[in-house]
Amino acid sequence: MGAAAQIKTLLKEADLYQQQGLLNEAKERYKKATEILKANADIANGQELIKSIVKKVVALNQAINRINDATTKPEVSGQKQDLIKNLFSGVREGDGGQRDLEGAIALAKFGQFDRALSEFDRLLADNTVRVAAAKNIIRCCIELEDLDQAVKRFAAWVKDDGFKDSELKKIRFFLDNRLRNLDHDCTLPERTPVLEVEDIEVDHQASDKTSEGPAGFVDEVEAESVDFDSELELHEEEFLDINSVGIQLPAGGPKGQMFEFDVSFQTGNSINLIIPSTEKTLLKELKAGTKLPEMQFFSPIAILNGSGVVTSKTRIKSGPKEGDYSLDITILTT
Amino acid sequence: MATFNFKRREIECKIVYYGPGRCGKTTNLEYIFKTYKKQVSGEMVSIDTEGDRTLFFDFLPMGLGKIKGCDVKVQLYTVPGQVQYSSTRKLVLKEVDGVVFVADSLEVRREKNMLSLKDLHENLKSYGSSIFKIPLVMQYNKRDLEEEGIPLMPIAQMEHDLNRQLKAPSHAAAAINGQGVAKTITDCLKLTLLHLQKELKWAK
Repeated sequence: MGAAAQIKTLLKEADLYQQQGLLNEAKERYKKATEILKANADIANGQELIKSIVKKVVALNQAINRINDATTKPEVSGQKQDLIKNLFSGVREGDGGQRDLEGAIALAKFGQFDRALSEFDRLLADNTVRVAAAKNIIRCCIELEDLDQAVKRFAAWVKDDGFKDSELKKIRFFLDNRLRNLDHDCTLPERTPVLEVEDIEVDHQASDKTSEGPAGFVDEVEAESVDFDSELELHEEEFLDINSVGIQLPAGGPKGQMFEFDVSFQTGNSINLIIPSTEKTLLKELKAGTKLPEMQFFSPIAILNGSGVVTSKTRIKSGPKEGDYSLDITILTT
Repeated sequence: MATFNFKRREIECKIVYYGPGRCGKTTNLEYIFKTYKKQVSGEMVSIDTEGDRTLFFDFLPMGLGKIKGCDVKVQLYTVPGQVQYSSTRKLVLKEVDGVVFVADSLEVRREKNMLSLKDLHENLKSYGSSIFKIPLVMQYNKRDLEEEGIPLMPIAQMEHDLNRQLKAPSHAAAAINGQGVAKTITDCLKLTLLHLQKELKWAK
């Protein structure tokens, strides 16, 4: 094929790719056409053609930049937010508080933070979901990279009487953990503890409700990379203290090998481990969402077999464990 | 996961159109929306952005009527194809019952097809599902562009690249003019309902 015919084909392809919205591919074709034009100075109107191609490439670059610079999760209309809430709440029937919570979580997952925050705020008044709502408010603040606001919100909850001490303890642990993962150094305020004798009955009811949670909730914990969840967590006392765990890889690693690690800290059914950076095989396989069907849990009084799911994996950026990985695992069954 | 209301004898399932950016997922849904009005049970909702790219998802509700004594409702979704929308893509895929993988037949999109299929595999795995087990139909779209003299991949090559191991039903298509659209969705619905029938035993 002669140079002129080659250029004609390339320009035709570029034009078509552009129509298809394949802007980088169109640009590539224009670049090739320009190179051929430059190498064949004898082509009639070559310089004019190059000028016209340059203009087209400039326009393409602008369009590519507009797409790349566009926010990935802009605020959408209220009507579309309602649709997101309905389609992705995961709870179709049943308890109103739980359904509203799941709806607000769906909004947050799709980046509709203003509306999600106002819904979580409203849910703070609902006894059955207020701890989960508070945690999700903190998650929203973290997603919005406003850690100071997360701390401010917590400080306000410490001051008012909306939360019981036991609830605040959970929220505090959650926030503290997130701040540490983000290397954000700050001391969280504490409330002077009081005895909560009259709350025993209420606690019992809340516990019953939690264990009956909707089917969607289980999937939420098992499957997500846990940016947002509706963890109506089990009470800490329902779990034994676990000193260390054994992990067998579901796939990829040496078959049957059990990797053992000490537990750094535990809250209820969530445990945290530090995995040294030298454990390359293990680190390659373990990601947020990885299911671990074969686990052993070593407590001072028993060894239990069970399963878990990795909920987050974070590289430690400073301190003596720099370069190692902090792994959160939710225990599913024992 | 599909929902089955025993009392109302109603089943609702979710089909997701997956594939690289600009492969024609939305075009498939648009064609279904305008052609099968009888079965479409609501408005098609699209949230798109600069250059008509799908930003969050497209959504189209359908009602297939009574099948084996059950009222069957289907929700069709598309995911955003662009790489930067990976978290949204994963969200939309959650609890999926059947998948249509739309591959772009243009030769220049060969790698993007493969990356997108790999992405589908990873996302399904993260939800405890498997690309080998989920009802899946492949669609090789944009076959009409062959007439324009644009280099397309032969179907055999696409089968080899994408479907060698999966062995899913596949269809050549030109979604822009409806060619292959109905065959694709029909196959996917059949596979999905058969799969659900085994899982939920709803037809017994």
